[in-house]
Amino acid sequence: MDFGTSDFKFGPITLGEQPRIVNNRGYFPDKNSVMYRAFQATSEIIVGDEIPLYLQSAEDLSSRLIYPMRNGMIDRNDVQAWRVVQSLAAYGLDAFKPQPNNGFHGYYVVASLSSISPRYMYERLMSAFQQNNHGMVRAVTVIPQPFAVAIGHGVTTCVVIESGHGNSQVCPISKYPIRTAQVALNRGGGDANAITSEILKDAGYGDLANEEALVRRVKESIGLVPQDLDRTLEEAKRSPRKVRAVYKVPGTRIEIDLENDSWSRFLIGEYVFNPNHEIFESYFSRGMPKPRDVKMGETVFRGMLDFGEAIAASVERCPVELQPLLYREVLLSGGNFSWTVPTKLQDLAVDAPTKVKSLLRNRGIKNVSVKMTSSPQFSVWHGCIIYGFAVPENYEWDWQRLEGWMKVPN
Amino acid sequence: MGAKQTANLEQDQGVSFQLGLEKAHVLILKQEDLARRNMILDVILTLSTLRYTYQLVYLAAPRLFGASIDAMMFKSRGIGLLFYDERRIDEAVPAQPLQVEQTPQTSQQDDKVVFTELATLRTMYLEMERSINQLRDDLMTLHNSRPLPDKVSSPTPSIHSIASPLRFHQDSMQGGELPSYFMNNPWLDVLSKRGSGEREPIAG
Repeated sequence: MDFGTSDFKFGPITLGEQPRIVNNRGYFPDKNSVMYRAFQATSEIIVGDEIPLYLQSAEDLSSRLIYPMRNGMIDRNDVQAWRVVQSLAAYGLDAFKPQPNNGFHGYYVVASLSSISPRYMYERLMSAFQQNNHGMVRAVTVIPQPFAVAIGHGVTTCVVIESGHGNSQVCPISKYPIRTAQVALNRGGGDANAITSEILKDAGYGDLANEEALVRRVKESIGLVPQDLDRTLEEAKRSPRKVRAVYKVPGTRIEIDLENDSWSRFLIGEYVFNPNHEIFESYFSRGMPKPRDVKMGETVFRGMLDFGEAIAASVERCPVELQPLLYREVLLSGGNFSWTVPTKLQDLAVDAPTKVKSLLRNRGIKNVSVKMTSSPQFSVWHGCIIYGFAVPENYEWDWQRLEGWMKVPN
Repeated sequence: MGAKQTANLEQDQGVSFQLGLEKAHVLILKQEDLARRNMILDVILTLSTLRYTYQLVYLAAPRLFGASIDAMMFKSRGIGLLFYDERRIDEAVPAQPLQVEQTPQTSQQDDKVVFTELATLRTMYLEMERSINQLRDDLMTLHNSRPLPDKVSSPTPSIHSIASPLRFHQDSMQGGELPSYFMNNPWLDVLSKRGSGEREPIAG
């Protein structure tokens, strides 16, 4: 089970290549509502595909629709969020309930959390599977998402960079996660949304700049990553028609055209990988939040570290002999690395692996191989499946090493 | 034009000739040989054995022996009989060659086939020997790098835990095939050894 920022991906090995997917969210319906009574719902929390049936007004959403893992972490005392997680876990198991009396003794459940999850998240999640599972769970374990990515990709020595909505994590792996060498960044897809919003405001689309879902779609449509920001901006300002950014909102008459300010589309991608360029200072001074260092639990999230510096800092915490091997397999995972390169702009824009390689080269690290994971959307789930398949059942859970099977009494 | 006399390899009272591919040998008796006991029998036996070496074998005897020699004995054995005196030599019984003209060619062809097959077998043997040696080396390397666990009673879970669920999942999966992300994945081996005694890091 992959508890991602936006989606909950789940299912047994029999599903083959792709898991089942629902939103990682839960809805607490108003028990007095007509819909609740009409569907005779008994559950206090609705999860899965049925949520839209119960949604009411937009004002209702903020208090009743809960996304428990928006930034990869759940506060220890967030009761509603933990109830949503528990409901999703039960939902996932119920979706694959076997036929009775066929010799089934319970699933070996492998759940995956963000690598920066503190110990209490492991405890609470395992507890969720141990309660009222009705014989569906034989044992449970929790593995970090970057570790699952490495397993799903089939590389035993590598550095996994997982970048999601709220943050990014750099995690070296060498048969085990090297947890002491992890580096966390307080920067993710949400920050790219923020600069896109500023760009829309500057281009005269202030009224649209506050709609998060629209801003995200604009980012995905027009945002680009420059090979070299200074050179690219110079070329883009010289040839605005070549880099013109236009986005038509589907199903509406709304069209966003950056015209002569289309060069700013390259700021969106650059900001994700390296927010240190002086051009961003003007945005900070005008009120755009500057990514800052934040401590959450035991982990310090660095705000302004570029990806090249973050990778180098992480690798250099590992044994010297291991470092060249880690640089040879750098894996990028997560939606925040899905940047396209339009054919006519191949001389100006690059994809995420090329950009990361360039940032490392700027730091004198040359023998580097950077790749996207083979299946960016499902590699965490693939890794969970392989882990559950291969790890011996007598490998018991240990709170020191944070691995192994925790048996569930039935 | 005629037969050429060749060296007498039989070291007897005879002469050997060669005419083309045919070789002939003539054993010559003299008058004093008539007194030898069992002389004719010895001659016949000798010449009979020579028939495998020579296409034509003859006994040349003085004409005086004619009365005491049963020509049928020679004829039945394919041995030629010549009578001679001071004036002429007469062929009383023509020699009958054995059917050995084809034998040398047939044996040469067969030999070639046999030699070819022998060479092929030898090549196959050498290849097998190389393969066996390579397998032996690989096995030794594997054995030296992965020593067997001391506790044989607690079975190594890796193969057992992989093999059994592998069969189960293959039965229950559509088409019986594992997903693509399982193929050539080194983590299957790494993870199957969890808890087998290798040093494990503390999570920290």
